Amino acid sequence: MNQPADAILSLVLLSILFSFGSSRLPSLIKAVAFQGIVVSLVPLFVGHELTAGGVIFTQVTLLIRGILIPLCIYMAIKKVRIRREVEPIVGYHASMLAGLALIVAAIAFSRKFDLPGIGQYALLLPTAIALLVAGMFLLMARRNAIAMVLGYITMENGIYLVGATFSVRAQHIVEFGILLDVLAGVMIMAVILQNIKQTLDDVDTALLRTLKE
Amino acid sequence: MIKPILFWLLAMLTAPFFSAVILKVKAFFGGKKGPPILINYYTLFKLFQKGSVYSHSTTFIFKMGPMISLGAAVTALLFLPIAGQPPMFSWHGDVILVLYLLGLGRFFTIAAAMDTASPFEGMGAAREAYFPIICEATLFLTLILFFMLSGELRLSAYFFGNEPLQLWRAAGAPLLFVVIALFIVLLTENTRVPVDDPATHLELTMIHEVMVLDHSGPDLGMIELGSYLKLFFYSTIVARLIWPYDMGNAFVDGALFAVAMLAVYGVVGVTESVMARYRMDKVPKFVLTSFALVFFATIITLEFMK
Amino acid sequence: MVELVFIVPLVAGALAFFMLGRSGRPLLVLTGAVHLALSVYLWVKRPEALFPDYFGVTPEGLLSLIVISLLFFLISIYTQTYLARSAIQSENIFTGSMLLFLSTMTMVTLSDHIMVMWIAIEATTLASAPLIYTHRSAASLEATWKYVLICSVGIALALLGSVLITVAMDVGGVESALSFSSLTEKARGLDPTWLKVGFVFILVGYGTKMGLAPMHTWLPDAHSEAPSPASALLSGVLLNCAYLGIFKTHKIMVAAGLGGFSGMILIVFGLLSILAAATFILRQTEYKRLLAYSSIENMGIIAFGTGVGGLGAYGAILCLIHHSLIKSSLFLTSGNLLLGFGGRLISDTGNLIKEMPRTFVAFFAGFAGISGIPPFGIFIGELFIILGAFRAGHYVAVGLFLLSLCVIFGGFAHHAMRISFEESPKTVEMKESITLVWPQYGLLLTSLILCFWIPDTLYQTIIQAVTIIGGGF
Repeated sequence: MNQPADAILSLVLLSILFSFGSSRLPSLIKAVAFQGIVVSLVPLFVGHELTAGGVIFTQVTLLIRGILIPLCIYMAIKKVRIRREVEPIVGYHASMLAGLALIVAAIAFSRKFDLPGIGQYALLLPTAIALLVAGMFLLMARRNAIAMVLGYITMENGIYLVGATFSVRAQHIVEFGILLDVLAGVMIMAVILQNIKQTLDDVDTALLRTLKE
Repeated sequence: MIKPILFWLLAMLTAPFFSAVILKVKAFFGGKKGPPILINYYTLFKLFQKGSVYSHSTTFIFKMGPMISLGAAVTALLFLPIAGQPPMFSWHGDVILVLYLLGLGRFFTIAAAMDTASPFEGMGAAREAYFPIICEATLFLTLILFFMLSGELRLSAYFFGNEPLQLWRAAGAPLLFVVIALFIVLLTENTRVPVDDPATHLELTMIHEVMVLDHSGPDLGMIELGSYLKLFFYSTIVARLIWPYDMGNAFVDGALFAVAMLAVYGVVGVTESVMARYRMDKVPKFVLTSFALVFFATIITLEFMK
Repeated sequence: MVELVFIVPLVAGALAFFMLGRSGRPLLVLTGAVHLALSVYLWVKRPEALFPDYFGVTPEGLLSLIVISLLFFLISIYTQTYLARSAIQSENIFTGSMLLFLSTMTMVTLSDHIMVMWIAIEATTLASAPLIYTHRSAASLEATWKYVLICSVGIALALLGSVLITVAMDVGGVESALSFSSLTEKARGLDPTWLKVGFVFILVGYGTKMGLAPMHTWLPDAHSEAPSPASALLSGVLLNCAYLGIFKTHKIMVAAGLGGFSGMILIVFGLLSILAAATFILRQTEYKRLLAYSSIENMGIIAFGTGVGGLGAYGAILCLIHHSLIKSSLFLTSGNLLLGFGGRLISDTGNLIKEMPRTFVAFFAGFAGISGIPPFGIFIGELFIILGAFRAGHYVAVGLFLLSLCVIFGGFAHHAMRISFEESPKTVEMKESITLVWPQYGLLLTSLILCFWIPDTLYQTIIQAVTIIGGGF
């Protein structure tokens, strides 16, 4: 653990564990917000030398990923006032153990790949894989619609990690566009959440079962 | 040879004092004056002067419980490098012996509780058996990590002199997670808030206290002393990890170690003051967190050691 | 100049959000007309883009663009009457979203940069979400939620795929702009492993949006809950846009010599979609869901044809164009059914030939066209695909393909006969005004004409689009 980047990446992994274990939505949002902040710091320490534009871009990313998006979700749950916890499809203890297994698997899996330029960051690829899979896990293992949105955000964080560190190709303007798209997507989801609450009086997705074959 | 014995005796003498620090901290947070700092000594004196009362339904196991749990704690301290000084005994694999000694003490406490045939005590015994199982997983995982870092299976190889510093150098930041995890284990093993409330008055919510309801006089005194020693044992481990330095002088080291111990006990007191006890079904998750942290630290450290 | 085509509807859409009451309706037609004019101009002149790094005029993009433009213009005319007849709350949001939707889809057809393409496709999801929620019911809410969540997650995977393609550039040591056209030129140098992984992610990602099984679950819900003009746009154009992303990546794969790999995956996903559609069409009870599953089937056919290559690729493009024309006309017709009969179930309808004769013509011609009955273009497209598959030697796949088509035809025909000729539960008292049927007639006629006479410029453009993936005769 000599690289500051690796210390930061292990914090990201830790945030995955916390997001898997937190049964209350505010703490889940905090875990994902923390994750967003830490993930957007990674490009400062990994690989390619930064331009002034790059630093500003990192700050904007941090602002949107770490603060704006979680705040948006937080406002949504404040408005819908969720009282009871919805029992998840996979329990919290099992989720936590699954999270540990996921990290081990991600590390084992990433040994197979050899990427030029970032080989010395032992945790980079495992963290990216773990974030992606963790996001999908949250999407599948939680019934609560807000937890599903947070799973989507976790996935996006993973993709950002891949995009921002593996390659320098995408210019900042394009990355910014991606970021705005994600932000708008989350906002629309938050609006839908409020409407779901108004219409169905809960955000349990089990209630969303009328349309099916 | 004299120094280890001296520190061992000192540990046994000061353990009740450190325990009282928690009470003082809690009193401070509660805006109260609190009991005198030597309260635990007074209690022990009082208890040892009394006689014991035994129920007709109990057997010799009930009488053995307190003795064995105290004996186990005393023996465990023999292997512990207190204040970074060499312990009385140390051999390859002593860690496992120590862990099982503590387990033995718990086993006999549970057996004594079951012996009373009181339903309350049985309930407490079940909880006492359940939560520490997860703690044991954490402890053994920590052991695996320490073994990989130092290549040795002795307590003195981890906590003697400068050894903790070596652990930090080898593992780095992930050891912080281990410290947090060990602190959680400390809270659980010694039945502190938020796992259990030692000051509770309702049997239904007790874990440890409910098991000793039937003990009285010197028996209760032994149990109390045993629990002070156990707390001292775990606190020493945490304290050595947060103050890993060795100054080379036994007095200076002892003084600094005492400060570190006060810090650990103080944090326990603060935790008890600011947190509420968890609902019984939330406790396993809390304890599981310690396992997750150590597991996580182990994976990360392994990744960097390769 | 090129960028103007999507900036015009963008500005108009932003304006429409502030136009209260019915004042937004003329804007819809006006923008549609301007957009059509600009698209025709692009088709004829093929100018350079202002930002050539990000945008460009490509043959496959032009094909989609001209279809979008024509469709939107006709749909906007239909929408005038539809809005007047149906009660829709906050019309400004509806018209604004329609225009933004048009703008984002146009951007997809014109984008050449991999990431800009992703941004545009994700933007289509966001712009169309309010359209699906137009009716403000619990069911439409559920459909919107599914649509946004499933598509966003799918498209997130496509983003990962796009990033992995840049990794393939790094590993292969290729110096190039991150655009489809320049990557296709330099595809040989890309690292094959990362490129393959990237393609799989892009296919799954954009495939979600395109409605390929098994990622299609959002599609029937969204199409059935959206108001008919929006369904027509979703089915007729949005799916094409997602296909465009897959098609362009497939081009890179073929240029890199990995066409066999990507073609095989496309064939598998295509067949899966056709099979899934065949299973669900048989026991469908709602006519709009029926049409939605038919879209899944056609997207499967198109993916299959693209995977087959050669004659099949040419057929796939034909299918793409004709499916857009016919399916959007069918969705508009379904709007008439809903206005007339007042229910979404097939059992709510009946005796269309007597109750709504003009709508019947549009409905039955649309049914004939989408099922691949000879005078319409889908027949020719499917024929080319089958021929191409035979040439390439995919005998088992062709067998499955034909079998599913027969099942789908049977199921669709059963439902279509039920709607057209059997007893109606009630009488319809709706006036079939010209604007409610002529847009459909226009779409169907276009398809019919294109079947007998393909203008040379169109033919050349299709051939240009498919030559790289080995298409053509």
